[in-house]
Amino acid sequence: MYKIPEENYPIIEDWVDRESRVLDLGCGDGSLLSSLVAKKGVDGFGVEISHDMILQCVQKGICVYQADIDRDLSEWADGSFDYVILNATLQVITRPYQVIREMLRVGRCAIISISNFGYVRNRIRVLSQGRVSSRIRLAQSWHDTPVLRFVSLREFRSSLEEMGIEVMDARYFFPLNVVARTPWPGYNLLAKEGIFKLRRAR
Amino acid sequence: MSTPLVETKTLGIERPFRFESGRTLERIDIAYETYGELNGKRDNAILIEHALSGDAHAAFYHEGDQKPGWWDSMIGPGKAFDTDRYFVICSNVLGGCRGTTGPASLDPATKRPYGLTFPPVSIRDMVEAQRVLLKHLGVERLKTVAGGSMGGMQTLQLFCDYPSRSDSFICIASAMKHSAQQIAFNEVGRRAIMADPRWNDGNYDDDVSPEGGLSVARMIGHITYISERMMQEKFGRQRKGIGTKTVFRPSFEVEHYLDYQGIAFVKRFDANSYLYITDAADNFDLMASISSKGRFRGQNRERGMNIGDMRAKKGLVISFSSDWLYPSSQSREIVRLFTAMNVQVSYTEIETEHGHDAFLTDCGKPSQIIRGFLASLG
Repeated sequence: MYKIPEENYPIIEDWVDRESRVLDLGCGDGSLLSSLVAKKGVDGFGVEISHDMILQCVQKGICVYQADIDRDLSEWADGSFDYVILNATLQVITRPYQVIREMLRVGRCAIISISNFGYVRNRIRVLSQGRVSSRIRLAQSWHDTPVLRFVSLREFRSSLEEMGIEVMDARYFFPLNVVARTPWPGYNLLAKEGIFKLRRAR
Repeated sequence: MSTPLVETKTLGIERPFRFESGRTLERIDIAYETYGELNGKRDNAILIEHALSGDAHAAFYHEGDQKPGWWDSMIGPGKAFDTDRYFVICSNVLGGCRGTTGPASLDPATKRPYGLTFPPVSIRDMVEAQRVLLKHLGVERLKTVAGGSMGGMQTLQLFCDYPSRSDSFICIASAMKHSAQQIAFNEVGRRAIMADPRWNDGNYDDDVSPEGGLSVARMIGHITYISERMMQEKFGRQRKGIGTKTVFRPSFEVEHYLDYQGIAFVKRFDANSYLYITDAADNFDLMASISSKGRFRGQNRERGMNIGDMRAKKGLVISFSSDWLYPSSQSREIVRLFTAMNVQVSYTEIETEHGHDAFLTDCGKPSQIIRGFLASLG
């Protein structure tokens, strides 16, 4: 498994209200939830598919539920959570639209982060080497990377619009630690990643 | 390495015990074992709940025995329920036949076994008997209460009836209530017993007990306890003693296996107990029982109170991928209920081929999770 980027943690911590109910989909070893519990006093729940990750969550005292995000979100009632987080996980699920809809049914807000396949380095790699995978973070070959969906920030934003989802807040990560709150010109070429706070449009 | 020894003790309660049905017995015995030591703060006790055919002998060895208790792989020094850290208690259920008062016990009034004059037993009755035992042992509060299958039912009942008495629960391969299929299998087992002429409406002596019926009940049970695939891998269509085959005598390996299990069971189990305990499990309905009002004894003084406020409580629910008797969907239902009650519940489905029996026979991964869970309780 690849490591979940921790640079998003401060932003998520900032977006999440104190003492709210948070569901983290693909919560890994529970480190994001631990930090949200410690810093914001949230009621945190994780969903994970891997036994080893579940073990690590349980050891940390993090509440974790073994389930397949693609299939099992229907078990939660509408509005069970204030925030449903999908941090660096969208690209590994098979039915992203359904999962995003479910996130906004189960939760009031969704927080989704993705890496930008339209980022210039990815484009150069595809053009020059003819390779879609072997990203730095996802240092695997095409057949064993968990990533199933290659999506650019622009494509993702237009999908949100199509689905009637409102972007409440966002951050775009550019090289040299430059972070923007709005999609600057050229963001789809120059931003490495994005993170979005979403809700259903009124 | 020396094998730790243990003896089953008996607590005699010399005052009337009232059942949920309203009926009373003048006195009852509770058979129990303990492992490890209760610490000075009395906050390291763990109650283990056994399943249908279990007993108080959960771990360690009885003097001279070749086999340890039924959950010895989980309970002991350095094991999941670490007896170097925790004071572990297990008692035989009320209605059982392994030392605790049940239908095979002698009715002091008639000097004959109770048989069917024994009051109907509920899961809550079992828990009430355990509460008396805990009081006797000086245990006010449990670190956790844990059990698999019917032990899981007692676990949930105790945790809900006495929320202030346990910091957490561990419920393995269990259900909030039996499905039609689970009741159906139990009913076939009961009918097998009752169809045995030696059962005689529950009036039988020890030496002429309805062994035939009880062993068939157990055979049915064993079919449901393991997965189809494991049964196929273990036995397939292999035969035993082909040369001596006579018509309709067991010849397939699987037949011999079930035969053996049936015979082994009747040596240690009472047929009426089997009826009473399966009846308790079938009638268990957690939601109905915790939402019912006007309970006897203590009258809501503690039971059921604060049930909405369990924020500081933790739960661990475990199911097994190949368990078709208590499928994972039933465990997920438990998780949903307790999550809604604000208990911090974790859930995991363990990959295994062992079927329902995994909670007894495939303890590796459950041990890891339970150890981690107990560690997180502090």
